[in-house]
Amino acid sequence: MNFALVSLSIPLFTGLLLLMIPRYGGPWVVLSSTLSLAAAVASLVEVVDSGNQAVLLGGWPELLAIRLHLEPINALLLAFTALIQLLVSLYWSRNCRNDGFWALASLLHATLAALWLSGDLFNWYVTLELLSLVSVSMVALAGKDSIKPALNYLFLSLLASLCYLLGVAIIYGRYGVLDFQILSRMTVGDTSTAMAMLLMTLGLMVKGALWPLHLWLPPAHSRAPTAVSALLSALVVKGPLFILTLLWTRMAPMELTDKGGEFLAVMGVFALLVGGWCSFRTPLLKEMVAYSTVAQLGYVMLALGLMLQWQLRETLVALWLFVLAHGLAKTSMFLAAGEMQRIFGNKRVTALRGASQTAPVAMFAFAVAGGSLIGLPPSGGFLAKWLLLEPLFYDLQRWPLAFAVLLSTLVSAAYVFRIVTLAFDRAERGQAPSRDRVSEWLALLPALLVWGMALVSEPLILWLTRVAQ
Amino acid sequence: MSLSWTGILPLAVVLSSLVPGLLIFTLREDQQQLRTFLNLLGAVIKLVLVALMLYGVSQGAVFRFEFPFLPEAGILLHGDALSLQFVSLSSVLWLATTVYAIGYLEGAALKSRFFGYFSLCVSATVGLALAGNLVTFLLFYELLTLATFPLVVHTGTPEALRAGRVYLAYTLGGGALALMGIALLHSIGGTESFTTGGYLAPLMAEHSASLMLAFGLLVAGFGVKAALIPLHGWLPMAMVAPAPVSALLHAVAVVKAGVFGLVRLVYNVYGVDVMDALHLNDPLLWVASATIIYGSLRALTQTNLKKRLAYSTVSQVSYIAFGVGLLGPLAAAGALAHLVHQGLMKVTLFYCAGAFAQTLGVHRVQEMNGLGKRMPATMAAFTVCALGMIGIPPMAGFISKWYLGLGALQVNKEWGLAVLVISALLNAAYFLPLIYRGWFSAPGKEGWPAEKTFQTRLTRLPESHWMLVVPCLFTAMLSLLAGLFAASDLSPLAWGLLIVDREFQP
Amino acid sequence: MTDTLLFYLLVASFLWAAGLHGLIVARHVLRRVIAVNIMTAGVFLALVTLAARAPEPDPVLHALVLTGLVISVSATALALHLGTAAFSTEKPEPTTR
Repeated sequence: MNFALVSLSIPLFTGLLLLMIPRYGGPWVVLSSTLSLAAAVASLVEVVDSGNQAVLLGGWPELLAIRLHLEPINALLLAFTALIQLLVSLYWSRNCRNDGFWALASLLHATLAALWLSGDLFNWYVTLELLSLVSVSMVALAGKDSIKPALNYLFLSLLASLCYLLGVAIIYGRYGVLDFQILSRMTVGDTSTAMAMLLMTLGLMVKGALWPLHLWLPPAHSRAPTAVSALLSALVVKGPLFILTLLWTRMAPMELTDKGGEFLAVMGVFALLVGGWCSFRTPLLKEMVAYSTVAQLGYVMLALGLMLQWQLRETLVALWLFVLAHGLAKTSMFLAAGEMQRIFGNKRVTALRGASQTAPVAMFAFAVAGGSLIGLPPSGGFLAKWLLLEPLFYDLQRWPLAFAVLLSTLVSAAYVFRIVTLAFDRAERGQAPSRDRVSEWLALLPALLVWGMALVSEPLILWLTRVAQ
Repeated sequence: MSLSWTGILPLAVVLSSLVPGLLIFTLREDQQQLRTFLNLLGAVIKLVLVALMLYGVSQGAVFRFEFPFLPEAGILLHGDALSLQFVSLSSVLWLATTVYAIGYLEGAALKSRFFGYFSLCVSATVGLALAGNLVTFLLFYELLTLATFPLVVHTGTPEALRAGRVYLAYTLGGGALALMGIALLHSIGGTESFTTGGYLAPLMAEHSASLMLAFGLLVAGFGVKAALIPLHGWLPMAMVAPAPVSALLHAVAVVKAGVFGLVRLVYNVYGVDVMDALHLNDPLLWVASATIIYGSLRALTQTNLKKRLAYSTVSQVSYIAFGVGLLGPLAAAGALAHLVHQGLMKVTLFYCAGAFAQTLGVHRVQEMNGLGKRMPATMAAFTVCALGMIGIPPMAGFISKWYLGLGALQVNKEWGLAVLVISALLNAAYFLPLIYRGWFSAPGKEGWPAEKTFQTRLTRLPESHWMLVVPCLFTAMLSLLAGLFAASDLSPLAWGLLIVDREFQP
Repeated sequence: MTDTLLFYLLVASFLWAAGLHGLIVARHVLRRVIAVNIMTAGVFLALVTLAARAPEPDPVLHALVLTGLVISVSATALALHLGTAAFSTEKPEPTTR
């Protein structure tokens, strides 16, 4: 547990320090996220070796104290957050033009770490709020154009928090407990619980940009600075998703899971198809990547919904694999998109005409990340999709869902290869744009990691199956 | 994972083109010599390794490379007789095509990218040939799509990009269908290694509907690459790619990968008994026959030489699917021999077409008048292989068609013979005019459309760049030998018979 | 549950719903900030009411409301800052430090 707390406090103190002395942010954040990654890995090893752990902060008794708890999945997410943070800050320390970024990024990291480690409903509310405040500020770093989307993001996310908080109030009024592990033994399927679950779910769906409550995401993610877009898409939307998953898989009473699962699965399919279609149609490059996030989150919803509706444990593994694979792939894709946007000085998709000749490595990164989003073997996206598909065939009733997954594969192929095909155009351009090779390779790195998941796929899947309960 | 040489060799065969390919990506455009060296080194090493493996298999060694991937479905590379037939074909033709491509692309831009993807493409093909279970097959099947796409759009013209989009739409769609089929089979019976006689027989009683659906999905998935109608639309469009790429698509990699998938599916996954019991072969047979006739008819009307060859491929490759669908031992031997024969002949025809286009600017059928006087060696190679395609004895094409015909009679499907005869007549109708024009018509008065002289330090053949001519002659000679010495132990036919022996007499 | 408590809970839900309505309908930044604050007040009122159910007031809920107030103040501040930036014509300075 101590390692996990270290992994949480390093970025926290780095962030506070950088608020006071905003200089040399890049190197500091790279260092702090490396250390935090090391601590998180150590905590992962620890939790695998010696089982789940918990700590009550401040020496207060149970029910009163803030309880932080560490399970294998939390530790994995902790390490994953530090890894993404490291990859993004490596890239951004070459390109950053705004010192405000580094303090906020560290605080974002610390907030997420706190979110993974928290275990009671109110503490989650606090971390969710912090997450929104930091994310909104980071979106606004891009300047004038991003203020409107940032404000919109802020209001929607406040609305969502208040929905969530009202749900929490109802739960507390009904059971008198906030710790979700205790709650998970108490909940019954009465009206007030159902009401609370509905309110919390809606709130979390807005925060996690789950279709159809995703409308704030594309403008906010596409207008933000490149590194911010990457962090938001790879990590921030996963926070509410994590809470949603825990609420439904552990706390929701049996009577509700069936309906809830069906709802989530259907919404997931819509997200995949509608989000993918929007991604295919949009004329702006980063907006295309942002809509692809909306679509990909559909996989997560579908996996969660299936798990609830049919009690399919395998899909929970698929869910966590989607979270990891999407995080890495999306980081790479946003960094590559931002890099190319910088090289060509144009936000439109059509600016990428000929990018395979003029910015080959960045374009390659984009395509490789896209391959994982489509789910081409042997990428991480494929592993997740395979685990999702496999149980769908056991029962004739679920085959339509399997074909929905097939269709969504084709839709994602369409939006990725729309860009890739353009890149092979040999139309004459003006002078060759200036490139930064190191940046391009740093953008490629996360995509290589997501394909590299194939090398450890079997142990990873077996381990997740064991720990995902 | 074993560390013995029999475990490493299949992997080494795949890596022998993958590693040079990745290195080539990093080269600058002007590092011509190093690039050529790496290309040829990879091709030669692969040939040596394949020869070693052929020797090993003949001595009874088992080549297996395993690597964990999905639970209960690892990556398995496995060198059996069938996979070696495909591997040998693709590694020999890769060497020839590499030489040809170096000559063809002399002076063109973006060669590092081209040869990089070229090598990846062959690695994927070889991996696919060596794949020991469906999951591994799918993996390389998709990688093949990804590696060939940049080659199809290499020229970057609007037509090339359109062809690339169509190609992707078809092949990724096919790949997705194949994934569904494979996941379906995996969920009902697990993923086992390819075995002689198939492994699905125990599931037949309980899951016959699922097995039929999976077969439909997989045939549609593989049929896209095999260009079965109505899934053939991408192939004629992909003609905008450079000639070496067309050669690769048609003879070595993509189309063959689809057909090879069908062969694996029928013989090593479902098995003849299950196919027969579920009556899965009849639809396959009808589609294949329809494709044979349709492809030939369309080829007749094409005025562009490469397009005519492309429709000819649609038709000729379906012979293999046809032979597989007949489910008889003789037909199977014919189909497997045709896998190699068609590859050798079609690659030569595309080399020749490319050489005509590159040297003289000849793209259309009408422009071929008098080619025989200007480029006699190339035209001779073209003639040999065109006659082989028609099926004139003793050419290679005749041997495989003969066995296919016998196979049709063996399983009492006389109508199959009619399909073969009609197709042969159509083949003659679209190939003989080309040969006639080449040798017996006088060249047009206005001269060749775009004649080009090649400057090389090496000896200059009178007709064209030596690197364009020698591969044509080499593969034409191989196809001639495959026909003349079909009865010897080393011929593709003999190897096909050996595979069939194992399949039908377990 | 006494009638008084029920009354307060009804008021709380009304405030929450009114705030929600305002947030969805209003376009002006200031109106939306106020709407969010009304919504917040509704939730806090509900929490405080629930804390008064027993003769001994529940300290946990009071602690929660205090924490919530801090968050709500910071969120309001950020919203006002961004709102000002949106109105000013020139490029805004980096938002938070």
